[in-house]
Amino acid sequence: MIKGLLTQRRESVMTTVILFVILIAFTLFASNFDIGTFGVTLLSGLLKAMLLFLVGAGLALIFGLMDILNFAQGGTFMLGAYITYDLVHPNLGALSFLDGIPDPGLRFTVALIFGTAAGGILGYILERGLLRPLYKRPLFQLVLTFGVSIILLELVKLVWGPTPYAWTQRLALQDAQFVLFGQPFSVYRLFVIGMGLVMMVGVIALLRFTRIGIIIRAGVQDPEMVAALGINVRAVFTLVFTLGCALAAFGGGVAVPFLGATLSMGSTFLLASIAVIVLGGLGSFEGTAVGSFVVGIGWASMEQFSARPEIGTVWASLAPMLLLALILLIRPKGLFGEDR
Amino acid sequence: MLNRSQTWLKSNGLYTLFLILLIMLPHIIGWLTGSSPFGTPRGTRMIMSGSSAYWMSILIDLFSVGILVMSYNLMFGFTGVVSFGHALFFGLGGYVGAMVMQQSGLPTDIAFIIGVIAALGVCAVMGIAIGFASLRLKGVYFAIFTLAVSEIGYIFFSRWSVTGGEDGFNLSNVPTWLDASQSRLNLYYLAMVLFALTFVFIRRLVNSPTGAVFKAIRENEARAQAIGFDTLRFKLLSITVAGVLAGVAGLLQALMEKKIGPEMLSVGHTVDALLMTIIGGVGTFTGPILGATGLTLADVLFRNATFTIGDTVVDVGQSWLLILGFIFVAVVLIFPYGIVGTWTLVWNRIRRK
Repeated sequence: MIKGLLTQRRESVMTTVILFVILIAFTLFASNFDIGTFGVTLLSGLLKAMLLFLVGAGLALIFGLMDILNFAQGGTFMLGAYITYDLVHPNLGALSFLDGIPDPGLRFTVALIFGTAAGGILGYILERGLLRPLYKRPLFQLVLTFGVSIILLELVKLVWGPTPYAWTQRLALQDAQFVLFGQPFSVYRLFVIGMGLVMMVGVIALLRFTRIGIIIRAGVQDPEMVAALGINVRAVFTLVFTLGCALAAFGGGVAVPFLGATLSMGSTFLLASIAVIVLGGLGSFEGTAVGSFVVGIGWASMEQFSARPEIGTVWASLAPMLLLALILLIRPKGLFGEDR
Repeated sequence: MLNRSQTWLKSNGLYTLFLILLIMLPHIIGWLTGSSPFGTPRGTRMIMSGSSAYWMSILIDLFSVGILVMSYNLMFGFTGVVSFGHALFFGLGGYVGAMVMQQSGLPTDIAFIIGVIAALGVCAVMGIAIGFASLRLKGVYFAIFTLAVSEIGYIFFSRWSVTGGEDGFNLSNVPTWLDASQSRLNLYYLAMVLFALTFVFIRRLVNSPTGAVFKAIRENEARAQAIGFDTLRFKLLSITVAGVLAGVAGLLQALMEKKIGPEMLSVGHTVDALLMTIIGGVGTFTGPILGATGLTLADVLFRNATFTIGDTVVDVGQSWLLILGFIFVAVVLIFPYGIVGTWTLVWNRIRRK
């Protein structure tokens, strides 16, 4: 049994290594073997990976624990982005209570906290009010989160309108640049990568070393057993849902200065991060971490590749979906998943 | 013999009456409002104007949506497979059919026939392909896969220059006898017949031994497998049939609107199908029709309505999908069996007393 698990684990690690080698090779090819372009593509891949991780971590935890795929996660990401955007930009739309703060950097920090909190509150309401009555009907839970994602999209469209917003309040971090192999790269992006890594380490530490993390991991294995041990699993469900949605909203908030706020960002990142968690193996948290790197770098190099005139940018926007379809076709149990 | 016809009448009488009503409806509306369902002649052509023609366009739309929802219900309600990409089949049916009709350069009638065959063929192949790719896995994977594929379809058709990208293209090369702007009554009857046939077909299918296996899969797939049924094949059949029927619905829509655009593949149609199925009653025969009728009529009635809450004016047409979303969530939570399901529950309880 243990031996079987070990070989399975070795196989997973081997596949991951091979996948990364192929990815790096493709990224090199996509950037025409130019080391500067390669570096920037890799960095923007890392950036995407971090955003995908922030959305995917919640998805994976929620799925592992409760067997619900939260389709509203993309909407939460988008909501976080819009709220942060609106709070930072004066004279715009619905939210203006931060307009008094003169420094955009400080405004952004506070706005980020508000955006994250909004995501958390949304997650709390979603789990407590809407999903809890439906635990006996899993099919309807899936359908319900899909409905909530539609509501979020339409609500955002109603409040902020259908036109995309580009970020205009430049942050000091955005203007600061550093040079990598002769190519400029904004420090802000590096900051986001750093933030993402901190979050990743934080969540892993939470799962590994705290009591609540042990309960969550046990809950992923067998929620009924955990409940039988006298632990309030329902409260853990709520906590994880809140945390997951807050992470996604935080991701939207840090992404909005360079992605801008668009209505399509929710579904794009939802599908891409579903690709992440499927690739990682549904329910496996370390798989999600690895998967977000694979999908992020793959996506970025695809974008780089389709920048060539003979390829066309359609492929860049199709990349996450195609990747998802491909993964489902080739290895549906994912890199670190068990057979299902 | 008499006995048999009596039972037939008892179980189907209402439907027959309803069908007769639908046959006469354009004429009744025309008679009530003084507008001809055949249109008004202008030169050598007929122009479709007046209330009768307007209501026919709504009813054709309703038939199309009805077929879409019934097909979704076959999959979701009777086989227990959740798809978030039903719009793909709807749009594909419309796009493929219209492209062959408009761009093949064949004579109109031949192009029409080939277009219909091609559209349905593509939908069937797509259904089989999607099913093969993802049905072996847990239900959640199928939902994800359909969502991804339909999103790919949407992006693809909104970028493809051959189909006019975001703008889509106009469908003008339709046989005159089926042209929505010249002989809408014919199109109305075609749509009505297809609608009725779909209803009968799905009822037959679900009540057949095959349908019994569908329902067994819905209730407990592992058990159905243990009895010895190849559940993959039955699920494949279910989604392929549903896909082809959704293609028929898309074709009808394309013929009515005479315009194709990527919004046919948008997630809105999937939401429509899901919502109408749930509101009407999942896994019932008449539920989807009631759901489709109710929501389509509500859309028509409230499309231009506005109401005020406090100081803000809410434009119903603009926030229609939002309202639908709220109804959706409310129905799933409070009213999970839908209109027909709840009615049956209440009725059975009354009768038992």
